[in-house]
Amino acid sequence: MNTVLLIKLTEVIIGFASGIAVGSGFVAFLTVLGVIPRLIQLANNYHLVQLYGICAIAGALFGTYLSFTDIVSKQSIILLLLWGALHGVFNGMLAAALTEVLNVFPILTKRIGIQGYLLWLVMAVVFGKIIGSLFQWLILERL
Amino acid sequence: MKQLVYIRMKKNLDIKDMREIRLKDIAYLSTLSHDLKSRLENMPIYRITKKDNNLVVIDSFLIVEHLTTQFNEIEIQLIGPTNTVIRVHKVRKHSSILLTAFAWIILFIGTAMTIVNFHYDVSMQVVQQRIHYLLTGEYTKYPLWLQIPYSFGLGAGMLLFFNHWFNKRFNEEPSPLEVEIFNYQQSIDNYIGHHENIIDEHRSPH
Repeated sequence: MNTVLLIKLTEVIIGFASGIAVGSGFVAFLTVLGVIPRLIQLANNYHLVQLYGICAIAGALFGTYLSFTDIVSKQSIILLLLWGALHGVFNGMLAAALTEVLNVFPILTKRIGIQGYLLWLVMAVVFGKIIGSLFQWLILERL
Repeated sequence: MKQLVYIRMKKNLDIKDMREIRLKDIAYLSTLSHDLKSRLENMPIYRITKKDNNLVVIDSFLIVEHLTTQFNEIEIQLIGPTNTVIRVHKVRKHSSILLTAFAWIILFIGTAMTIVNFHYDVSMQVVQQRIHYLLTGEYTKYPLWLQIPYSFGLGAGMLLFFNHWFNKRFNEEPSPLEVEIFNYQQSIDNYIGHHENIIDEHRSPH
C-alpha cells in the first residue's frame, strides 16, 4: 500500500517537474521569436498585454487537454476550416520570425547587392511555404 | 577671444568617384561668424585615392587636430558621431534580373523544402488526423479540410509578420525586416569605425 502511494507520488513529481520545464521553455521560445509583441503591435492594443499572456497559457492548456483526451465531439466543417487557417497563420508568423532571427535577408541582399528586390525575395519565401505545404498534403502524402 | 565652433560628424557619406573631401561633406558646422563658417566648411580634409579602396573612415579627432593647427583662434566642440564612414561606389551596375531570379528560385525551393521537413519533423499529419477525429468523430487519413486552409494561413501569417504585400504595407510602422536590415548596417558601420579607423601621419590631409 505504502509503495504504491510512493510510486504515485514520484509520478506526480516527475509529471509536475517536466510540465514546468516544458512550459517555461515554450514561453521562452515564444518570447525570443517575438510573435506576441508583433501581434500586439499590429492590433495596436498595448494596454492588453496581460490578456495575450493569458491567451497563450489557455491555449497551451487546451492543447494539453486535446493531446490526452479521448472525448470526441461532432463539429462542422466550418470549424475545421477556421482551425486549419488560424493554425497556419500562427505557424506562418513563427516561420517568418525564424527567418528574421537567422538574419537571412540582410546578409543575402548585401552579398549579392539586390537591395531593390528585397520584397520580391520575401514573396519567394511566402509562396515557397504555401506551395511546399500544399504539395506535401495534396501529392507527397497521398502517393 | 576664441571663437567657439560646433561640429557634428555625419555618420555616412556615399560618393561616386575619387575626389577631395571637404569638411562640409562629412560634418555639419555651427559658429557665430558667417565668414569663418564658410572658410571652415570649404577646408579640404582628405583626398580619396585608389589606395583607399572603397572605404575610408575619418575620425573626428583628425579634424580637430587639423583645424587647430590651421586656425588658432577657434575652439572646437564635437557633438554626435565620432567618425564618418565614406563609401566609394564605382559605377554601380543595376542589379541584374538574372541574379535576382536565381536568388528567388533558391529561396522558393529552399523554403518549400524546409516547411515539408518541418511538417515531417513534428508529425503534423498524425496530429491533424487526431484533431480531425476529436472534432468530427470520424477518422480520415487525409484531413484536407484542416490542411488546405492551414497552407494558405501559413502565407498569410508570414505576410502579417513582415507587414507587406509586395509594395503595399498594412501600416506606417517599419517592418521587423527593415529594422533588422538597419541593425545589420549599423553593426557593420560600427565594426568599420572600429577596425578601419587608423589615425596616423599619412592619413592626415595632403
